[in-house]
Amino acid sequence: MSDETPPVEIPSVDITVDGETVAARPGELLIDACERTGTYIPRFCHHSRLEPVGMCRMCLVEVDTGRGPALQPSCMLPCTPGMVVDTESERTRKAQDGVLEFLLVNHPLDCPVCDKGGECPLQDQTMAFGPGESRFVEEKRHFEKPIPVNENVHLDRERCILCDRCTRFAGEVAGDQLIHFMDRGGQTQVNTFPEQPFASYFSGNTVQICPVGALTAAPYRFKARPWDLEEVESTSTLDSVGSRISVQSSRDRVLRFQGVDADAVNWGWLSDKERFVFEAYDHADRLATPMLRGDALGNRAPDGDALVAAPWSEALGVAADALSAAPADRLAVLGGARLTNESQYAWAKLAKGVFGTDHVDAQLGDGLPAEVVLGLPRATIDRACTPGGTIVLLGPDPKEELGALFLRLRHAVVHDGATLVELTPRRTGLSAHAAHSLRVLPGGAADAVSAMFGGGSPAGAAGLSAEALAAAGATIAAAVAEGRPVTVLVGRPSLAEAAGPVVDAALALHDHLPEAAFLSLLRRGNVHGALDMGLAPGLLPGRVTLADASGVSSVWPTVPTDRGHDAIGILEAAAAGEVDVLVLLGADVLADVPDRDLAERALANAGTVVAVDLFGTPTVARADVVLPAAAPTEVDGTFTNLEGRVSVVARKVTAPGTARPDWAIAVELADRLGTDLGFGSVDDVLAELAAVSPIHAGITPEALAASVREGVLVEGRTALARPDRTEVPVNDAYGLRLVADRSMYDVGVLVAHSPSLAGLAPGAVAGFEPSDLSRHGLAEGEVVDLIADRGTVQVAVASDPGVARGTVHLRVNQADVDAGRLIDASAPVTGIRVGRR
Amino acid sequence: MGYFRGFAVTFKKMFERRVTTSYPEQKRDKPARLHGRHVLNRYEDGMEKCIGCELCAGVCPANCIYVRGADNPPDDPVSPGERYGFVYEINYLRCIHCDLCVEACPTEAITESKLFEFSFTNRSDAVYTKDELVVDASTGRPQHLPWEDWRPGEDEHTSAWMRATSPSGDATYTGRVSWSGELGHGVRAPEVGQAGGAAASDDGPDDGPDDGEGPA
Amino acid sequence: MPRIPGIGDTSAILDDGLEGLEHNFVTARVEDLVKWSRARSCWPATFGLACCAIEMMATGAAHYDLARYGMEVFRASPRQADLMIVAGRVSQKMAPILRQIYDQMMEPKWVISMGVCASSGGMFNNYAIVQGVDQVVPVDVYAPGCPPGPETLMHAILTLHGNIQSGELTRRREANAGGAAIHVEPPAPVPSAQPVELGSR
Repeated sequence: MSDETPPVEIPSVDITVDGETVAARPGELLIDACERTGTYIPRFCHHSRLEPVGMCRMCLVEVDTGRGPALQPSCMLPCTPGMVVDTESERTRKAQDGVLEFLLVNHPLDCPVCDKGGECPLQDQTMAFGPGESRFVEEKRHFEKPIPVNENVHLDRERCILCDRCTRFAGEVAGDQLIHFMDRGGQTQVNTFPEQPFASYFSGNTVQICPVGALTAAPYRFKARPWDLEEVESTSTLDSVGSRISVQSSRDRVLRFQGVDADAVNWGWLSDKERFVFEAYDHADRLATPMLRGDALGNRAPDGDALVAAPWSEALGVAADALSAAPADRLAVLGGARLTNESQYAWAKLAKGVFGTDHVDAQLGDGLPAEVVLGLPRATIDRACTPGGTIVLLGPDPKEELGALFLRLRHAVVHDGATLVELTPRRTGLSAHAAHSLRVLPGGAADAVSAMFGGGSPAGAAGLSAEALAAAGATIAAAVAEGRPVTVLVGRPSLAEAAGPVVDAALALHDHLPEAAFLSLLRRGNVHGALDMGLAPGLLPGRVTLADASGVSSVWPTVPTDRGHDAIGILEAAAAGEVDVLVLLGADVLADVPDRDLAERALANAGTVVAVDLFGTPTVARADVVLPAAAPTEVDGTFTNLEGRVSVVARKVTAPGTARPDWAIAVELADRLGTDLGFGSVDDVLAELAAVSPIHAGITPEALAASVREGVLVEGRTALARPDRTEVPVNDAYGLRLVADRSMYDVGVLVAHSPSLAGLAPGAVAGFEPSDLSRHGLAEGEVVDLIADRGTVQVAVASDPGVARGTVHLRVNQADVDAGRLIDASAPVTGIRVGRR
Repeated sequence: MGYFRGFAVTFKKMFERRVTTSYPEQKRDKPARLHGRHVLNRYEDGMEKCIGCELCAGVCPANCIYVRGADNPPDDPVSPGERYGFVYEINYLRCIHCDLCVEACPTEAITESKLFEFSFTNRSDAVYTKDELVVDASTGRPQHLPWEDWRPGEDEHTSAWMRATSPSGDATYTGRVSWSGELGHGVRAPEVGQAGGAAASDDGPDDGPDDGEGPA
Repeated sequence: MPRIPGIGDTSAILDDGLEGLEHNFVTARVEDLVKWSRARSCWPATFGLACCAIEMMATGAAHYDLARYGMEVFRASPRQADLMIVAGRVSQKMAPILRQIYDQMMEPKWVISMGVCASSGGMFNNYAIVQGVDQVVPVDVYAPGCPPGPETLMHAILTLHGNIQSGELTRRREANAGGAAIHVEPPAPVPSAQPVELGSR
């Protein structure tokens, strides 16, 4: 941790396993030491990411610690010097036999219908270590066959062997102890509390770690058997954590995602959204053929103005004609976070190197300026989760937006003694464990940071006492003084607040804590790859600005010289009629841009809109040319996560219809514009990227293959840009400020097309701090008008102690209530008045 | 007289019994263990035995079986238990009639009849779906499709089949009758050297599993 | 002799000859006669590829006796054969030879794909074996089994005979350019209007 520590030799403990001396690490559990050195001890309850509990007794081995050999559970026994272990003795064998026979006493033999049959540890270990046959002829215990413990997980209590894995996961890892043991003796069972479902964002992990078929996932129920699944290891592209997953398919259909234990990233855990989103990629509504607006081809459609299917040649021709007719500064490309790195590079080269426009942005007005994200010192997840480290959360709730990261952070804070300081407008999933959980008003974060370190008054951060801020500052300062790492998680805590105040706060933290590293919480898919590939105004591939075009100038036909608009700027230009061709790379601007009014005006006034997408979203429905793209399970490529870690995305199934990878679409379009991008395969793109970007020089197929699980970390910083400080208007005593954030489940296009997830969106309510509720004379459940300068929405009121006084909390992207109607992207914060009806 | 000696065999054969079986008019008797066209059996109450476990598809060396399971509709179950065979297809352009599916089946749902005279004039006829494989619910007999040449007796004894290997590989079970006598049609008489009928399992080894019992 | 409907009283036929009949001529289409004779002397080419050929030989031998259908002569020259029984797995190397033999056969000619290896590659789902001989030659009848027994082969042959006699096969052949071309389904036409309309702009 600190610089002066010399590399110390890790002391080891010599133990004897089956007559051979092996070196264990001090404190290491015997079962882990044996497995690491090549002796497998059977187990059910032991899981390396969970606390040992010793429930199943399957790992009994004969251990002599000097007092004579005795059977001891190896999952509860730390290695001590001189320990003599016999995993194959007569007594060990008899104990294993007995334990398995005992476990099978009540386990039904319905393996042929059980989803776990074929990949079941109980089956496998009974074959390997169990008795040949059962002596049990009595009636087994009976429970109602599978009961749903929540929408996606079924529990079959007959099959449960009471290993405690799921309940430990729920309590220790996810922090949602909603399932537990009930009853006693032979009736002991896992169950939920009465009338309370296992409503956890992480419930799918219990299915994966269940050693029998007691917990099964509804989306996979009876879909296939393990022996007809083919799998490939890939990266989840749903959010920017880049969890490693195993994509499993049968007959060219993806049937499930399983988490893969990548030590640096997700530890094998996935959020349910990541786990079950495969349903969307497999959905019948996927775009399978290009489409053209009827009038582009001389009224082919009966009503003349609808989208009609067209061959690729015609669709690309119409798009290319529009692109070649438009001058460079009237072209814009929005989106690209869905794409793989290679596709992003191909589109960056097409947009900036062939079109010559710099009006390119992968973020949709819901992120942070690229120069700030790439300019601040970058942290890794492991650094943030260092035992004893300090984490400053200046952004959204990781539990809602980045599920796998939340589990890592929670583990660090709860089990590894990390200190958490929160500066968020609303209570988060980690607040219960935070050392200092401070509610900051929208726009007040920079003032709060100044006040924390003794500079300036906390006036802007109204509602926070100077003492609380100072105490938080002191905690951080103490950590810095002791040389413990400080990591700042920075993201957009609220979409109703411009990026400016958050950037100001992050820069202030950087100034006060030069040692602190920053972990970006930008959420959307491969957005960090997009920034690295130059899909942001003013940037080129390899985290360099337009001024430093030396890398690409020899390869690209042209390079823009002037910095272009960001997403909001592009949309404003489009609304003013200054954009002739708007290319949308998987950008659903009508849902994703916080400012709904701006997005609608932009789409209405843009010239030709070319949409490259998976689904017919409302935005796509208003495009002129629609090109179907291949989903992440259908392409090869790489993914860059929020640390800058590049890992492999692997193709498993074929795309529907004639949909094709985004990079291939870019190549085709360039071809029609008379330029050869020079890419015939994904590896070609990777090779050119390595040539033009020094920081990506190490990203070769060989390097990725050598480190397939952990990926390859790309390091490098852009010169840190310092935008002008955003002036936030002072809030008056009766005004309210809007906090609009995302929840795990919403009506976004992927969730809406995943049948298992679609029903989980919580819907929108206006959350008021309880005293605000009485101050405004509102009753819970009452439907009110929320009135902002931009518009009005009607929404039911709820009391929410988690929000700060003086704010109204509203989830974006929920059915019925469109928070985007209230938000003005040009204003730093969104003021709200409440209208009674 | 070498010339006539040459005809000696011909003349001799003229007075021997004809060995030819005139196929369309008559068929040779099938061996007891012939593996013919499959049938999907039912229980006597009409429920399908297939539970969609895909073990047959997993064991098939020619990959000719395609099975998909589904949740049994609770109000109108197709088979007993949670799961039933939602899709069941056998491609007779791949099937090599090795009978491994029959051995793998935990519920004796798939068995083979004695019919082997069928041919197709287009490929889609050769893919038998569940509708064509499943036995008639009232008689338990296999369906006779237009292009199949069924003769009396060939659809008897489709109910299960002698396991080529004994249960669990236990030598003490070798040669014992091992099937359940439900629809699929007929209960097979024991072969030479086998102990009595299905009830004979009573005098089996005391410590062994009941070999007539499939998983629930 | 009794009176035969449509012909007349045949009792005095020995005295009067045919002239005494009310109707003393029979009409038939020459085409029917041709089809009848084609079906009844359908000479296979000698072309055994693998284990199925053993069953094919057994079919020709005394116990099953293909001679009953006028098929006992397995011709060594494809010029004299009008039925090809593809008996066995077709390796990729054998495929062009098989096609050449087929091309050398005289029209009208028929193909039986005998056994699963010929029909689909069977259990040899690998790079070396043609996955279905109908990728190479147009197949008229598929016989299942590994291998098909003589009776299964005869069932296939009788199915073929039935189809030859009904004219079904020659009609199909004329539709695909004399059987020399391999029939390919034309791609479904792209519907002129997208069924899922995404609304107007």
